[in-house]
Amino acid sequence: MFDVWRNVLAEIEQNIPHESYVTWFSGSELISNDDGVIKISAPNIFKARQFEMKYDKQIRAALESNGIKVKEVSYIVSNKTTIKRPREITYDELPVHKPKTASKQDSAEIQATTSSLADNTPYATNFNSGLNPAYTLDNYIIGTNNNVAVSVAQNIIDSPGGRFNPFFLYGGPGLGKTHLVQAIGNALAKKYPNFKIKYTSTTDFFSEYIQSIRRKTPKGETQADLYIKMYRSLDVLIMDDFQMVFGKQSTLDAFFSVFNDLHSRNKQIIVTSDRMPNEIKALDPRLSSRLAMTGPIDLQMPNFEERCAILQIKAELMHREVENEVIEYIAENVKSNIRELEGEFNKVLLYADVRGIRPIEVIHGGFINTSSQMKKNNVTSQTIISKTAEAYGITVEQLCSRSRVSNIKTARQVAMYLLQEELSMSTTKAAIEVGLKDHTTAMHGVKKIKADMATSFDLREKIDGIRRKIYE
Amino acid sequence: MELEVTQEKLNKALSVVSKVAVGGRSTLPILSNVLIRCDGGKVSLVTTNLDMAVIDYLPTLSAKDGVVTVPARVLAEFVSNLPRGEKVSLKTEGIKVKLAAGKYTSTMNGVAADDFPELPEMDEKKAVKFSMGVDEFKTGLAEVIVAASNDTTRPALTGVFFSTRDNTLFIAATDGYRLTERRFVENVKSEVKAIVPASAMQEVMRSLGDEADEIEMIFEESQARFRFGEIEVISKLIDGSYPGFHELIPKDTEVKIVVDRAELMRMVKMARVFSSVSDGAISLEVKDQSLVVSSISNELGENESETPAETVGTGKKSFSARYMMDALNSMEEDKVRIGFDNTATQVVMKNEKSDNYTHVVMSLVR
Repeated sequence: MFDVWRNVLAEIEQNIPHESYVTWFSGSELISNDDGVIKISAPNIFKARQFEMKYDKQIRAALESNGIKVKEVSYIVSNKTTIKRPREITYDELPVHKPKTASKQDSAEIQATTSSLADNTPYATNFNSGLNPAYTLDNYIIGTNNNVAVSVAQNIIDSPGGRFNPFFLYGGPGLGKTHLVQAIGNALAKKYPNFKIKYTSTTDFFSEYIQSIRRKTPKGETQADLYIKMYRSLDVLIMDDFQMVFGKQSTLDAFFSVFNDLHSRNKQIIVTSDRMPNEIKALDPRLSSRLAMTGPIDLQMPNFEERCAILQIKAELMHREVENEVIEYIAENVKSNIRELEGEFNKVLLYADVRGIRPIEVIHGGFINTSSQMKKNNVTSQTIISKTAEAYGITVEQLCSRSRVSNIKTARQVAMYLLQEELSMSTTKAAIEVGLKDHTTAMHGVKKIKADMATSFDLREKIDGIRRKIYE
Repeated sequence: MELEVTQEKLNKALSVVSKVAVGGRSTLPILSNVLIRCDGGKVSLVTTNLDMAVIDYLPTLSAKDGVVTVPARVLAEFVSNLPRGEKVSLKTEGIKVKLAAGKYTSTMNGVAADDFPELPEMDEKKAVKFSMGVDEFKTGLAEVIVAASNDTTRPALTGVFFSTRDNTLFIAATDGYRLTERRFVENVKSEVKAIVPASAMQEVMRSLGDEADEIEMIFEESQARFRFGEIEVISKLIDGSYPGFHELIPKDTEVKIVVDRAELMRMVKMARVFSSVSDGAISLEVKDQSLVVSSISNELGENESETPAETVGTGKKSFSARYMMDALNSMEEDKVRIGFDNTATQVVMKNEKSDNYTHVVMSLVR
């Protein structure tokens, strides 16, 4: 019966404005169908009334076109399906601790009274949430570049599944997307211990899904069914790096069925990407507009003062005395990426330790060539691909095509090798950048380049040449 | 549609209804609008956020039937800035709304009323009704609502619980750390059990002006209505069962004390200064014929005050200073009764004479 209602909803969704659909139909259910006498529930009286007054015709039509005979439709109020979270306040959580001199009898009494306060039992959450507790909002530095995103994050922590659902966060690499969404996940996990929260990278989600399609369980369900079921049972889904989305339409459909299901039950969805939803090529506009539903929020590079603040806080966390001049020098030179900023800072400190000198002397003495290292900031996957293509005398389109002409193939493999080496990309990511769908091919290719480099001076020379071009 | 009203009346009505419209967190843009309806010379303003709706009936100087919606905040700001005593005329042209008051005019872009949500209806024959004086309603509700929770993960606790027993209507609220209960209306014949969102109750309190003497409370299976003066607030009910809090209120306690409320508040305020930052805990110790309030903070030092009091038994409890202040603030009489058992966490507080109001705070155990 649920499936039928889902189809009915899908049909209604096509015919009315999206915001009306979300407002009125989320949380509705088909309660019973007694030979054409149909009961539909809405989560509150205002919504039930709209069904009665405004959507009755549409609901009837959609029911009938899904093969349900309709004699009579009635609308009732019931919010079984909306947020009733398995959460109870126990005496252990009351301001502090237990009675000072509680005898066994007392605690039994307390147990009894507590259970009368309870209306749900928590369920177990013994699965890997993918959250890293090191990421918290407390160690996230707030500036003008990210205060909007942080206040949205705060809002989500206060009322998950509320106004900012889905939350689409985008911004360049190393600007703190992962930190922020992990921090949201951690804060939610702390506030609602019974929440099932999952953080996953988009690549992992899709490759695991694709692999699971082929496997079957003894019961005849595919692993993929179980996989999707697991995702549907979540209270919070966090997908990182959504620009890496890949796969055929059916794979995307699997994701969006999870998405729609969670969203319709007011479960919080958080998605990050390095670009806007409509710039993600693998998505058709229908899907990307769903992601952009509540308005994408971006993270920007912090300005000079904020970059200094970040380094100062980092120095404090490391209990290091670092001269302001060092901080300003690094903040001045690294402008595109916080990860890089911290990396350079670490490098200077490390060098100072190794040499036994003060950090400022590292800068003054020019012991490490920070400025050329810092040029790396401007290197993107596009630069690598275009410089490689240029070196092999082919076009970027050719490089990213599926051509198996040996020259083009080698160029593609070199590009993947450089993407991995220079941008520390995973094989899968590198494969996607050059238009490959199969990461085993990519692994094979990179391995081959590495092996060839060991024996071929020409190849080493060529790759070094490309590398120089990239950093020019 | 055409109507003419005084600036004062319109301004007041808009201040009542517009908060609900502006506070909407919905994706539906029309919910930030106010619906203005003229029907048979009667004018009503309506806003809703789909959890509740507010209707204000407006006395008019003249009116022609029709209906339109306009952004509530824009209209409210225009009208509130008009000089008092102006007559405001409002006239629709298509979905444009022309407003004129003396030398001030504006034209607003309205939205057709078709998209505005239909309000729920109520079969008054099936509904349960209670009525009471506005002043009593206000005090009673203010006393109880302090204990309502903000934690949306337990929806039932974010409401005020209306229930009847022994021919009396009670209201109650709890957030798991404290609970309040108030005898509301006596000698009632009908029965009710309903959880009304605290946000709606707050809206009712906010809108209660001086005009009305009586408030009517009407409950149906999935809605509640509050009528007073020219205003009606319709609220959804929170679905779910309310915790059985009644057993948590001890009938009698081994330690009892009657103490001057103002004095105790002063002592609590002082102790609060020295309470630890993390939990703001202060201690109350009942001695023979006196009460000692004390606190210790590792950083700041310590504080202790003693006041004479009528006591039965002896014992000591720790509290969150904030909860204690909330409780004392919600009392009415000059003296309060406090009672607890040394082995239980619940501490009962009541006015000295009246049994109408009960405030239970869970003590901290250190």
